[in-house]
Amino acid sequence: MTTAAMDDSSHMSFHVLDTVAPVLAPRVGKLAIAGRRTLSTPHYISLTSRGTVPHITHDVMRDHTGINGLYAGLEDFIEKKPPAPLYKTPVTEQESPLKKFICVPENMPLILGPRRFPAIPCPPTNTETSIAVLTSVGFHQLSAHHYVEAVQKLRPDIAIGLADIVLGKPPGVKRREKMVDRTHAFTRDALDRLYEDPEEGQPKSKAAYFAPVLPLDNTQQSLYLDDLESEFRHNLSGLALYESASLTFIPESLGSLPRLLLSNPSSPHEILREISLGADLLTVPLLGASSDAGVALDFDFPVPPALQTARSEPKPLGFDLWSSDNVTDTSPLREGCECHACQQHHRAYLHHLLSAKEMTAWALIQIHNHHIMELFFAGIGESIQRGSFDEDVQVFNRVYAASLPEQTGQGPRLRGHHLPAAGPGQPRRMPRIYGRLDEAIQKFAESQSSVATPDTGAEGLEEHGFAEKA
Amino acid sequence: MSTTAEPSRKPMPSALTFARHAKCSTTKARASTLHLPHGSVPLPIFMPVATQASLKGLTYDQLRQTGCMLCLNNTYHLGLKPGQAVLDAVGGAHKLQGWDRNLLTDSGGFQMVSLLKLATVTEEGVRFLSPHDGTPMLLTPEHSISLQNSIGSDIIMQLDDVIATTSPDHARIKEAMGRSVRWLDRCIDAHKNPESQNLFCIIQGGLDLELRRQCCAEMVARDTPGIAIGGLSGGEAKEEFCKVVDTCTGLLPEEKPRYVMGVGYPEDMIVAIALGADMFDCVWPTRTARFGNAIVSSGTLNLGHKTYAQDFGPIDEECTCACCRPTKQGGLGITRAYMFHVTQKETVGAHLLTIHNVHFMLSLMGAARQAILEDRYPSFVRDFFSKIYDGDKSKFPEWAVGALRGVGVDLLAE
Repeated sequence: MTTAAMDDSSHMSFHVLDTVAPVLAPRVGKLAIAGRRTLSTPHYISLTSRGTVPHITHDVMRDHTGINGLYAGLEDFIEKKPPAPLYKTPVTEQESPLKKFICVPENMPLILGPRRFPAIPCPPTNTETSIAVLTSVGFHQLSAHHYVEAVQKLRPDIAIGLADIVLGKPPGVKRREKMVDRTHAFTRDALDRLYEDPEEGQPKSKAAYFAPVLPLDNTQQSLYLDDLESEFRHNLSGLALYESASLTFIPESLGSLPRLLLSNPSSPHEILREISLGADLLTVPLLGASSDAGVALDFDFPVPPALQTARSEPKPLGFDLWSSDNVTDTSPLREGCECHACQQHHRAYLHHLLSAKEMTAWALIQIHNHHIMELFFAGIGESIQRGSFDEDVQVFNRVYAASLPEQTGQGPRLRGHHLPAAGPGQPRRMPRIYGRLDEAIQKFAESQSSVATPDTGAEGLEEHGFAEKA
Repeated sequence: MSTTAEPSRKPMPSALTFARHAKCSTTKARASTLHLPHGSVPLPIFMPVATQASLKGLTYDQLRQTGCMLCLNNTYHLGLKPGQAVLDAVGGAHKLQGWDRNLLTDSGGFQMVSLLKLATVTEEGVRFLSPHDGTPMLLTPEHSISLQNSIGSDIIMQLDDVIATTSPDHARIKEAMGRSVRWLDRCIDAHKNPESQNLFCIIQGGLDLELRRQCCAEMVARDTPGIAIGGLSGGEAKEEFCKVVDTCTGLLPEEKPRYVMGVGYPEDMIVAIALGADMFDCVWPTRTARFGNAIVSSGTLNLGHKTYAQDFGPIDEECTCACCRPTKQGGLGITRAYMFHVTQKETVGAHLLTIHNVHFMLSLMGAARQAILEDRYPSFVRDFFSKIYDGDKSKFPEWAVGALRGVGVDLLAE
C-alpha cells in the first residue's frame, strides 16, 4: 500500500490498494476528505451545469442516485460584476460557500475548476495573467488572481489548478511553449498564495490542489513536470489530466497522487482503457449526453456469463427510447434494473415523454443512466481487485458494440451557456416554434393558435380515435 | 332543448362517495372528502395539470410528496400522443405514467376555444381541419368519452360546447348551453365504465345568469356524480365570474362535488371556496414556475429578478415543501439566490419551483379546509388577503370585497 504524502494544510488523503506499478496500470484506491463521503476509485465525477447535475433535482440526487462527487466550473457563477452573489453566501467557518450556494450537502465531495467541463471554446485568447471563459452573458477574462481568491473563499474540497489550454484547434509550436510557461507560473503563484504565503488574515487553504498536466508531450512540458516533482510536490494533492496520453508519462515520484482525468471518452470501452492506464477519477460527459439523446444505457462490467456466449452481432451499449419499438412496450428500460425509473416506469412511458418533449423524460433517463454508470464503476473496482481486469476488458470489448447507439430524436432545449458561440451566417440553433400554423393561416385565412398540433394527418387522427374524417 | 326530468333517463351509477364534514356558518364554504377509485381527496382542492401524462419535469414520487391526490391529464393531448391504441395496449393512463392516485381528464372541449378559429361546432360535434394536412375532421361527444374510457381516468368530463365568456353573441351562447346539455346525454349514453369512472357534467351559459340557471336545472336532473362549472376564466371580469359561481352553487345539490374549471389564482380560489366551490385546476402555478415565478403567501415573486440574486432566504419562509424546508428538517434548503442562478437556465430550476408552487397551492387548500372545519373561514379569508396586500385594505380588490360581502364576509371591517 502506498499513501500520498500529505501536507498539514490539506485534509485529503489518498490510499492506493495493492498496485504493482505506480503508473500505467489499473488501480483501486480510497480518496478520503475530512468530513466528506469517501470516494472509492476508480470513480466518475458528476459534471454540473450552473451547479446542477442536469435534470436531476436535489431530492432526486439524494433519493435515487448514488452521485458522490461533483465538478463545478467557476465560469458558471461569475457573470455578474464582482463580487458575484455566491461570494455573499452566509456560511460558518467550516462550510463551503459554493456548496451552500448550489444547495448540496456539506459532505458531498466537490471539485472546482475554472471552466465547465467540457468547456466551450472561446474566441478571445488567454493572456499571461488570465484565461478566457464563457459565462451565461458572454465572454470574460478570469484572472489567475481571481481564481486563487475563489479557491480560498469558496472552499471546494479539491481545486484544479489554472492551466493555459487551447481549445478547438491544436496549438502551434510557439503557443505550446507559452502554454507551459503560463501554466507553470499560474501553478507557482497559486501554491504560494494558497499554502505558503496567504494574504494577511487569510488562513492556509484547506482545498486539495490538483495541478494540471497539459495535453502535450512530456518533453514539451518537462521543466514544468520537474518542478511538480520537486519544488511544488509538497503542496500537491493530485494531478488533473486533460487527455489519457498524459497518463503514460507521469513521473514515478508523482505516482501516489490521485489522477483526475478530464476527458470526454466516447464509449465505455474508452473509459476502461483510461482506467487501464491508471486513471482514478474520471469525467464521463457521455452519461448526460446519452440521457439528452434519449438513450438508456445497458451494459455490465464484468460481462455476466450469460451474455458471454457466442453471438452473431455485438450487444448494443444502450437503446434508443425514441425508437418506435417502444411505443407499447411495458417492460422496464432494463430487465431486473433496480433504479427508480425502471422500478416505477416502462419504455412506453419514456417513449411517450420523449415524443411529447416532456422534461420528465430526461430526469428519468438520467436516473437510470447514473445507476448503470455506478454499477459499471463498482464492477471495475471489483475486477481490478480480483486481478481479472485485463481479461474482463477483453470480454467486454468482444461482447459489446464499439459505440453507443446514434441519437435519432431531439434533446432538451439548450441555452446559451450550453452551446458554442454563434458566429455570423450560421443556421438557427433552434427550429422556429411559433408561427407553425402560419401556413394554415394562409390556407384558412385565420388562426393565431399556438396550441400543440398533432404530428399526424387525418388518417392518424382517425386511427388515434381522436376524431373521424367528416 | 330537451325538457327536464325525462322519465326514460337511465340511472346514473357513481364511482365516488362524497363525505361532507363541515359547512362554514357564514359563507357557503364546505369541507369534505371525495373518495375516488384511486384514493381519497380532501376538498377543497387544487389539482395540478399533468397535460401530457407528466407534471412538467417532476417524477411522480415528487408529485406524491407535495401531497397531491388528484391531478389532471388532457384528453386532447393524450388522444394525439400516445393515442388511443397505445392507451388501450398499455392499459390506461394510470399504467402509462405510473401514477397510482387519481386522475381527472377534461374532454378536449377547452382546446376548442383555442382552436375555434380553425373549427366549427355543429350539432354532431366539432368540425375542424386537421392542422397537419387540412383534411376535414369531426370530434364528437362519443369520441371524447371513448378516449376518456381508454384513458381510464377517475373523473371524466363531458364534451361541452365551449365559447369564450366574453363573446358578445348571446344567441350563440344560448345555443352552446343547450347543445352542452344535449351532448351530456350523448356522453352518458356513450360512457362504458360508469362504475369505475365518474362523469361530470359542465354547466355552461356564459355570463348570463338566467342561462346558467336553466343549465343547472337541466344538468342536475341528469344526476351525474359530480358537477363542473365551465366556460369561466376566459378573460371575463372577476365580478362576473363570482356571480356565475355564486348563482350556480346556489342551485346545485349539496351532496355533490363542485368543480370550477380553469381557476387557479390563489385569490380566485379562496373567494370561490367561500361561494361554495370545491375543486379547481389551472396550469398557471406550474407554468409560471417555469418562468421563475414563485407563489408565496404574500403574492408572487419573480425569482429571475436581480433583487433575489443575493437573497439567501428560502423561497417562502412559511412553506414546508421539499425546497423550502431547511436541511436540518430533511428539506433541500433551496435559496432564492440559487433559484435566481438557475431559473430559466437549467431545467432543475423549473422542477424545483414547480414542486414549490404545487405544494404551496395544496397546502393553501389544506389550510382553507382546516379553517372551514374549525368554522373560522371568514377570518382565514381576511388573513389571506391581508398578507397579500400587506394589511392595506384600500388595495383589496373590489371584486373580492363585493363577492365576499355577498356571502356575509366584510373584508374591510375592522
